[in-house]
Amino acid sequence: MVLRKSMRTPDVVVKKRPRLEDTIYTAKLFFKNRLAFVGFVITMIYFAIAVIDEVYPQWLGVSNLNSMANWVPALSSNVPTAPTLSHGWMYIFGTTQFLVPIFPVMLAALKFDIGYSLLIVTIGALFGLAVGTIAGYFGKIFDEILMRVTDIFFSVPFIVLAFAISYALGRSLNTVIIALIIIWWPIYARLTRGLALSTRSMKYVEAATASGSSGMRNVVVHVIPNVLSPVFVQISLDLGSIVQIFATLYFLSVIQGSQLLPELGNMISRGQTYLPQGIWWPVVIPGIFLLIFTVSINLMGDGLRDVLDPKLRR
Amino acid sequence: MELRYYIIRRLLLLIPTILGLTVLTFLLMRAFPNYQLVQGYINPHSSIPVSVQMLNAEKALGLNYPPPVQYIYYLKDLFLGNWGQMSTTFYSGPVLRGIEYFFPNTVQLAIFSIILSIIIAIPLGTYIGARPNTAADQAGRVFSLAFYAMPTFWLALILQIILGQDVIYGNPFGIFPIQGSFQPTSINPLHPPSWLINTQLGTVLSSPTHLILIDALIHGDFAVASSAFMSLVLPVVTLTLTLLAGILRFVRAGMVDAASQEYVKTARSKGVPERLVIKRHIRKNALIPTVTVLGLLFASLLGGVVTIEYVFGYPGIGLFGLNAVLQNQIFGVMGTTLIFGLILVMANLIVDVVYALIDPRIRY
Repeated sequence: MVLRKSMRTPDVVVKKRPRLEDTIYTAKLFFKNRLAFVGFVITMIYFAIAVIDEVYPQWLGVSNLNSMANWVPALSSNVPTAPTLSHGWMYIFGTTQFLVPIFPVMLAALKFDIGYSLLIVTIGALFGLAVGTIAGYFGKIFDEILMRVTDIFFSVPFIVLAFAISYALGRSLNTVIIALIIIWWPIYARLTRGLALSTRSMKYVEAATASGSSGMRNVVVHVIPNVLSPVFVQISLDLGSIVQIFATLYFLSVIQGSQLLPELGNMISRGQTYLPQGIWWPVVIPGIFLLIFTVSINLMGDGLRDVLDPKLRR
Repeated sequence: MELRYYIIRRLLLLIPTILGLTVLTFLLMRAFPNYQLVQGYINPHSSIPVSVQMLNAEKALGLNYPPPVQYIYYLKDLFLGNWGQMSTTFYSGPVLRGIEYFFPNTVQLAIFSIILSIIIAIPLGTYIGARPNTAADQAGRVFSLAFYAMPTFWLALILQIILGQDVIYGNPFGIFPIQGSFQPTSINPLHPPSWLINTQLGTVLSSPTHLILIDALIHGDFAVASSAFMSLVLPVVTLTLTLLAGILRFVRAGMVDAASQEYVKTARSKGVPERLVIKRHIRKNALIPTVTVLGLLFASLLGGVVTIEYVFGYPGIGLFGLNAVLQNQIFGVMGTTLIFGLILVMANLIVDVVYALIDPRIRY
């Protein structure tokens, strides 16, 4: 009887690729995808602007970025001026409420939009990762409780849940961030739970258990490394959604108390009042700026998923 | 497992989810002190002193008992339809009656958008999914990614700028009203219709269905009906575009996935015409994964409803809930959260049952 090829023991030992080499290979694959590359570059530019905002706010011509009022030149008129090149680069996209120039405020807004979104996603992902892997690996009653709790979180639309929780906590910027973290962890818990379940039944985990490895050690050494790359992909896709939800909550004025914070949703919301006068730029330009970011981070996330998922990897 | 048992099991699984939902709203309520909760029950013009009224209301709501007993009282009130009182500039009165007034408008918006987006997404997705990596496919992908990544409120504002009446002076496309569910100018001032009730709060209610479009048609008032229809166009288009982007992504992915299966190769090698291969073998299988994500899409639809109703000033349940949040009406917030949760739970149930019906391989 001739054994099928897959059943024969391999006579050539495949050399294990070192981790660094593997990472370089993945990066090469990722950059081959032109759309993903463009998305990556634009996302990095946005991140860089956010970092510059944080460390050197003076580049936008003000001492701190915490209020749109810092840019007010003189309260001479209430009608926003049109985009023009004649008053210097700051006025290239025109002005909005109180004659605040749109362009520098937009750049300053990235510090808040991207910064807070990163904070929300990171804390949510870490918490969800911890709960999900433990529930998936140890299973039983813990798993059942987790599934029911996440069911409840998934049974209310995000925006409505964000309203309700931030309302109960007091409707300030900090409580909205806490509310979004509370809402966001179940996604990661579900994701990592499923992955932990499938890793648990792998032969190498069985082998580790047989050689005396404890359950907690298995989770840390075997399950978490296997879960990390899908979580990373999910983070990059979620950043776009969180930025959108954050802007939406500002737009709906659910967040009280800091109505002059340079934030893209807030800017659009301020600019909306001038629409009936035919003044479109305070609404259109910050929206396009936000859209470029969400589209490119989605392109980057899709590209990452394609290279990090071994099934899709070509 | 037989389908009947599957449905029964699925219905039983609803009970813990719905109970959990009520625990969530109960916890929301307990974030506030008692004196805030009973505010809606106090009549300052009554001859009974305010402190006595407060005590009576606390007793009626069971607030003087420990939290587990309070929860039982809360459940009892929910079942008896006593969802609390609220007073906002948008609506004042019992929460459940407010939901009854504004819920039909949201359903109308959602149904129009769901039907429109499915009618467009399935043929379009079939077309581009059958031609992967062509110009049409790339255009479709860019379209769906752009609308998927676009904040709903911004899309609504952009549509208002382009198609809204009187936003940009002299715009030939600006024919659609941007605010409300109908235009009061369409009412004949000499014979104001008796089926329209002005609540003095800026909202107009109509009977018997609370849908102005349907009610106007029932009563034969075509001026109001056409105004209601025109007001509906922009909100429906906004919601349809966001929903369409999501569905299109999944139909396309499902088509590409199904096209690489063995049975498609078999059908082609048998000499089945390409049109029939796409229709019978690829599309039928591509729609199965699409149905599974409809539940998720429904959640995003409900989220989008809130923003769209706010931008267009459309009197639906989203605007009702938002006003409750902005004007500190805790019972309104709880009622909205619960009703949104119930809709989503029901929608997921329907999606699961449909999924089991169309794909006999699936029985959990």
